Amino acid sequence: MLHSVGVKTLYDQRRALIAWSLSLALLVAMYVAIWPSLRNQPSMSDFLNQMPKAMRSLFAASGADLSTPVGYVQVELLAFMGPLLLIIYSVAAGASAIAGEEDRHTLDLLLANPISRSRIVLEKLGAMIAGTALLGAVTAVALLGEGHLAGMTLPAGGVLAAMTHMTLLALVFGTLALATGAVTGHPALSRAVPAVLAVVAYIVNGLAPVVAWLKPAQKFSPFYQYSGHDPLRHGLSWAATLVAISTIVLLAATAAAVFRRRDVAA
Amino acid sequence: MRTTGLTKCYGRLTALSDVSVRIDAGEVFGYLGPNGAGKTTTLRLLMGLIRPTAGSAAVLGLDSWRDHVEIHRRVGYLQGEVALYGKLTGRQHIEYFCHLRGDSGQSGAIKLAARLDLDLDRAARTLSKGNRQKIAVVLALMSAPQLLILDEPTSGLDPLVQAEFHAILREHTARGGSVLLSSHVLAEVQRVADRIGVVRAGRLIAVERLEELRAKSLHHITARFAGPVPGAAFANLPAVRDLQVTGLVLTCTAPQSALNTLLKEVARHDITDFECAEAELEETFLTYYGTGAGHAA
Repeated sequence: MLHSVGVKTLYDQRRALIAWSLSLALLVAMYVAIWPSLRNQPSMSDFLNQMPKAMRSLFAASGADLSTPVGYVQVELLAFMGPLLLIIYSVAAGASAIAGEEDRHTLDLLLANPISRSRIVLEKLGAMIAGTALLGAVTAVALLGEGHLAGMTLPAGGVLAAMTHMTLLALVFGTLALATGAVTGHPALSRAVPAVLAVVAYIVNGLAPVVAWLKPAQKFSPFYQYSGHDPLRHGLSWAATLVAISTIVLLAATAAAVFRRRDVAA
Repeated sequence: MRTTGLTKCYGRLTALSDVSVRIDAGEVFGYLGPNGAGKTTTLRLLMGLIRPTAGSAAVLGLDSWRDHVEIHRRVGYLQGEVALYGKLTGRQHIEYFCHLRGDSGQSGAIKLAARLDLDLDRAARTLSKGNRQKIAVVLALMSAPQLLILDEPTSGLDPLVQAEFHAILREHTARGGSVLLSSHVLAEVQRVADRIGVVRAGRLIAVERLEELRAKSLHHITARFAGPVPGAAFANLPAVRDLQVTGLVLTCTAPQSALNTLLKEVARHDITDFECAEAELEETFLTYYGTGAGHAA
């Protein structure tokens, strides 16, 4: 099982990945189970409509309508909880990639092998992408499968598109964590920087519709690339996908370039 | 392996200053110095883990920083503070690093582990310090590299295992391999090294062949006589230092090479007690090289 740095990194996470997958499937199951009792309650939709505009904008996404499966999933899972969980996983994986090994002093051991530092960055990135994509796929399968069982039918294409964009969103912040770790070697900083930026990006994207001066900044928020085009209804946006992938590539290239040139802590 | 003016600074702190040294094929070089003198810094520079502030190091003809991947293919490295993957067993460590090194066979590693009496099937975090050290030794030596760079390799190993480890090193040099081994104790280096370099406060203050160093090694001598002795009788002995004769007691310091004449002089009188103890290495070096103003080639 320990054939490469990437595979070994995933092997280390095997139990965590199983636990994350089960938790996500259970979370979706809970949402699906609650839906039948919510959909016929107009008061819930009224509650959403009566929320302050800024609040609704932050937590409920556009066109929120709890009486349809698409609107319900959007409010309950896609607007907040789903991205939050995937970002947490991805940032944790990214922060432990280089900075984690350096902090535990195993980086000397790893680097003493005939393997370039860029290769290590790339393999760690690969493992993080694989792990995050797995969690995105598990959530997609759970939504479609469990939704089908409970009569909450969702458009398969829309779900796949939404989860693809959510995975990319998480990977943007995960790669930022990896890059911060590759540059500084500090695991705590590598978690803090993406966490703060994620909160800022979330608020900018959420409040831009109601706060005029945030409007120009909205397009730069990875959350806008994730949900601005409403992927559950309108499918994949190639432009948004391209922006996300370019961000990831740029961050990874920076990580490798700096990591190649810096001293490694003993 | 050769370093030229190798220097490493961290901000205003100079960890290593202008170290030039050369190690030939088949040689065991003992790199000796107190903790924090710059031993680990030198070895990590050679491995390309850190970048020299000035100067350069050539390992097997390759630049230590630029060509570190090729160097790592041919060098076995043991880090000073051994850190392993806590959840992996010794066998998994071997499997992982064999793949990373492109080695197909793990039989060499298994044999080494058996010689060092190491249980390969327990997770590293459940092992004692000595057993973790053994895993690190196996990982450094398993691919039969040309050069071994070992930072305090025997720390935590019990004497029997140390002896086996030294036997393995001798087999390595018999095959033409070289060893650079750091330590803060002379006794350890004495058993295996051909030459010894002494580093102190970031400077290489001496490089000596082991036999020369032995001849210089200082001994503290105390002799108690049965009757009064004339101090002048000892005053002219060559290489004897700090001579004091008070009443019936003589104390002095002498290098190993001067012990013979000193003993003969002492034996001309009746003695009631005699003590001779080897001084700490540090003292020997401070005596001959002061605080490290000059440094040897």
